Amino acid sequence: MAISPVDDPVSDGGADASAETEPVTDKRETRKGVSADGDEQQDRTRDGADRHWVGQYLRDHLSHIAVVAFFVLYPGLSAALAGIPALDIGIATVDPGAFFDAFLPSMPFMIAMLFLGLFAMSFDFISGYTGYLSFGHAAFYGIGAYFVVMAANGLIPGIPQGTPFVLTMVIGATIAFLVALAIGAVSFRLTGVYFAMITLGFAQVMYELIRSWGYAATNPTEGPSFAGEAPTPEIGVPFVDSLSVAIGRLGGDSFDNLLGLGIDLSSTVTSYYAIGLVVLLSYFAMQRVIHSPFGQVMIAIRENEERAEAIGYNVFWYKMGAFGISAFFAAIAGALFAAFRGSASPDDTFYFLVTADALIVTIIGGIGTLAGPFFGSFFFESLEDILSSQQGGLAPYLRETLPDGLLGADVAGITFLDVINTAVDGRAPLYLGVIFVLFVLFVPNGILGTVRDRLGGTVANRLPAHLERYRR
Amino acid sequence: MMGLLSHAVVDAPLFADAVGRFFQPDTLARILIEGLGKAAIYFIIAIGLTLVFGLMGILNFAHGAFAMVGAYLGGILMVVALSSTSGAFTRIVFFIVVVAVIFALMTAVGSALEIGLVRPIYDRTPMYQILLTFGVGLILEELARIIASSQGIQPEPTWTAARDTIPGFLSAPSEIIQGLFGTNIRGFYMFAIAAGILLAGAVWLFLNRTLYGLYIRAGSEDPEMVEALGVDVRKAFTVVFGLGTGLAAVGGVFLMWDPNWGPSVMLNLDVLLYAFVVVVIGGLGSFKGTLIAAVIVGIADSFTTWLFNTGIVAFSGLPEVTIFLLLVIALIVRPQGLYGVEEVGGH
Repeated sequence: MAISPVDDPVSDGGADASAETEPVTDKRETRKGVSADGDEQQDRTRDGADRHWVGQYLRDHLSHIAVVAFFVLYPGLSAALAGIPALDIGIATVDPGAFFDAFLPSMPFMIAMLFLGLFAMSFDFISGYTGYLSFGHAAFYGIGAYFVVMAANGLIPGIPQGTPFVLTMVIGATIAFLVALAIGAVSFRLTGVYFAMITLGFAQVMYELIRSWGYAATNPTEGPSFAGEAPTPEIGVPFVDSLSVAIGRLGGDSFDNLLGLGIDLSSTVTSYYAIGLVVLLSYFAMQRVIHSPFGQVMIAIRENEERAEAIGYNVFWYKMGAFGISAFFAAIAGALFAAFRGSASPDDTFYFLVTADALIVTIIGGIGTLAGPFFGSFFFESLEDILSSQQGGLAPYLRETLPDGLLGADVAGITFLDVINTAVDGRAPLYLGVIFVLFVLFVPNGILGTVRDRLGGTVANRLPAHLERYRR
Repeated sequence: MMGLLSHAVVDAPLFADAVGRFFQPDTLARILIEGLGKAAIYFIIAIGLTLVFGLMGILNFAHGAFAMVGAYLGGILMVVALSSTSGAFTRIVFFIVVVAVIFALMTAVGSALEIGLVRPIYDRTPMYQILLTFGVGLILEELARIIASSQGIQPEPTWTAARDTIPGFLSAPSEIIQGLFGTNIRGFYMFAIAAGILLAGAVWLFLNRTLYGLYIRAGSEDPEMVEALGVDVRKAFTVVFGLGTGLAAVGGVFLMWDPNWGPSVMLNLDVLLYAFVVVVIGGLGSFKGTLIAAVIVGIADSFTTWLFNTGIVAFSGLPEVTIFLLLVIALIVRPQGLYGVEEVGGH
């Protein structure tokens, strides 16, 4: 059974009524990366003596399973909802399909959510857990993005052009890790505002250099893109063709009638699952670190650095390690971004505003919670989608559904249509800014942080107990 | 980096030639005077930021947005009031009036913002004040974008109609400098130097001769003691945040005429980043530090611009890279800045 890693979430999606197989499959995924022939082992875990352990594990991860299931089912769900035909109920036509089409985020935005989410999680990993604001985090995102594009174009010495994307992504992330150590070595002598400023300074220096680096791209201010002879980036097991799928807006793989189930996957949806898998694995890796003794020291540094030091921890190296890991995953996010878009530009990767986006979604989602930034990113991209007219959206929806009389109604020479065109269409940043300020003022812990405060612990820990209470 | 290096490699004869060209009176005068002009601009955009930080310990991320608003409002007033036939004298006089009006207006706006938004979160960690002001900056930028484009003005790269209200003798090379040193320097830089000196004098007088100036100086050294001595810190915060906003807006009005900037929504981030560089190098909250850092950054800017313009270095981003490198080096060598207080701005 040669299920490629990407098909897997889909087959999960199919069998998701019994969502309990999910984490086991996840385990299998990771293990498969190591040994392609691990079926025997899995079966033992699944059907072996220790059923109780599995059950407990599943209960502990109920919230994870629910979230993963939601995002796995999302493409099918949104397509189904948007496909609901219009109904004529006599007085007016009710068109729930158009409504869902306008308000559910479309796939390109969902994919943007994935890499923004991963980037924001990596930002939160250092900023939220150790308390050191990394204002130059875009630099690592940019390194990841530039590295994969340049490697695919054969511009990195020592890396042949056909090297699988997964490998170049990991190498690029490792370079980001090393760069982070170099930056951290001088920056971690500083604290507070000064740390934020020096990382910002490093990132801006790199931004300005990249903008005029003629070696990377013929037009350095536009940035490099995958050239004609560059291989399409593939996610999967390197060198095993059947276990890899190509991703990308244009060149990605698409599947018709997948596994005979009658499911068609467009290239966008395939990319969504493939990128989603990498993001999920990265999330679990970061979560593992946070929950390890290492992560506890990170939190200790945030709460009281002097005390952590007094206890005997060498806080400098803990901070360096955290910064490096965070840079590693930021670079992974950048690589996914570049792979999907097919290009990288300085303004979309190295610029300060990229860090600012991560900062915004981190605050909205909840700083100091690892999954929070991801939900913040979902919120962010949903808002972008609703307020842009690229794929459905509020403005076209209002223009089409509202009666002409209302649209034409004018107050002091300004029609309602003008208001929609200027104040709604493509104005996501404005409302985002307003929402962001409201969050800072009234919900300082963000979405997930507030939910945790309400539940009195992490969602994963508290949810089973809460459900238990309702069952009785 | 290979590409960069091959650009930046300087052949030996060219190098000697460059040194020769550098040590000529007209080149030196050019770098120095233009550098001081740029320094004046940097000082004008940074001084409000350092005042606010000095007393309140707030790194105001909306500073750039206030400058942007100042540039646009100034542009509107200038464009509406002046016709193409207005003489140079009228333009200058009107410019001064606009500076005064916008300073007053934005000081009021800043005070209102402080009371409404910043005041509720003083008891939180400094990060939340950064976030809040950053959000305010985002909103202002987006509002400016909407309003500008609804009036048919390109929000980017720059609103030329407003920039062109500059009188002819300021946009042309200054004749006095031409006569003295034989080099071409925009009259605007002379104007900026004069304005910068005036503003520095005014701020110095404010800091050293007024009650609120005393509060700021004391507050930047020991805020708790100031409070303990019975100063109404809340009121002082409101006044100083307002003044900082007003000064940022005045900086924006000056940038309106600057050939390298001009009114555009990009001012939000650009002003913010450069003001940060100046303030951090000088030491957060220090007037003297900001002044000296502005001169350092300004001269570095004009020197590297000269290097690029004469073709010695074929790397167009050199001034920007140099300025941010200065920030990094300053932070490594002297984290508290030239005249900063060591404890300020840490955790």
